[in-house]
Amino acid sequence: MGALRKEDVAGLITFLENNRERDGSVTLNDVIQLAEEMTGSMRAFLTAVQPTVTKELTAIADEITRLKGEILQLRPNDMKDNQIPEAGRELDAIVDSTERATETIMEAAETIMETGEQDPDAYRNLVNDKMIEIFEACAFQDITGQRISKVVATLNAIDARVSAFVERLRIAEGDDAPAEETDAERRKRELILHGPQHTGEGVSQDDVDSMMSSGAQDEIDKLFG
Amino acid sequence: MALDVQMPILVVDDYKTMIRIIRNLLKQLGFEDIDDAADGTEALEKMKQRRYGLVISDWNMEPMTGYELLKQVRADAGLCKTPFIMVTAESKTENVIAAKKAGVNNYIVKPFNAQTLKGKIEAVFAD
Repeated sequence: MGALRKEDVAGLITFLENNRERDGSVTLNDVIQLAEEMTGSMRAFLTAVQPTVTKELTAIADEITRLKGEILQLRPNDMKDNQIPEAGRELDAIVDSTERATETIMEAAETIMETGEQDPDAYRNLVNDKMIEIFEACAFQDITGQRISKVVATLNAIDARVSAFVERLRIAEGDDAPAEETDAERRKRELILHGPQHTGEGVSQDDVDSMMSSGAQDEIDKLFG
Repeated sequence: MALDVQMPILVVDDYKTMIRIIRNLLKQLGFEDIDDAADGTEALEKMKQRRYGLVISDWNMEPMTGYELLKQVRADAGLCKTPFIMVTAESKTENVIAAKKAGVNNYIVKPFNAQTLKGKIEAVFAD
């Protein structure tokens, strides 16, 4: 890329030298004249660098077009408008069906608990009826399992698209922008909210019982200084 | 402290079904005077109005968690002696340690059974 030379800006230098001794008053004509001098002095420079700038702008435009193509491959509107809302509806349906099943089962159990056994035949019939209600309510597990499978399939499809997108853009793991902690994340950290652990993770009731005993607590305290 | 089945118990959980489960289990164990609250804030208000013999609280609730409730109860001169059992799915070591340091009397990991609940209540009142 060409650099500015003294002869390119000779007019501007002359203008500034001629006005060196002036007091602080500047007219509109002075400003216009200065702008004209500057434009004139830059013309040769801009002419020299134009092919380079044009080439770089074209490269940037090509990259933007390529990125747009990659984003379209990601099908973001399909994810936003169809897949994610549908997965949300499935999860809502799961919550709803498990709630209804739990309600039915608990009502049946509470009715059995509250019923006296003065009439053994009536009591046996009641228990049988309530047991059938409980079996029927447990059918929710089959439908829930199918709904969960649909949600898992959606998550896998989104994961595949995003992974392919990341790969095509050659984004390395270390390139992730630093994540700023949200209010919800800070609350979780400060109030030690991890949620339920998976099987084999977290501590068992036996572990908790050991930790609650004073001797074990002393050992734990030592670990934490 | 002696275990008195007449004592009022406060069950704190934001999940109505869990309150119902604990309430039924406590009834099976002979307790009749059972009150409930949906989070730490409501529980604290109820505790200031009535003296409970035992608090059984979940950890993860909004706006006030069971952990915050425990710390506030222990910091309040009028409430600090109230037996407090945490019943929670929070089963990381740091949760148990934090609860113990904050003064919890016992800690039950969800899911739990009636025998565990009975055993922990008895252990609290045996101390």
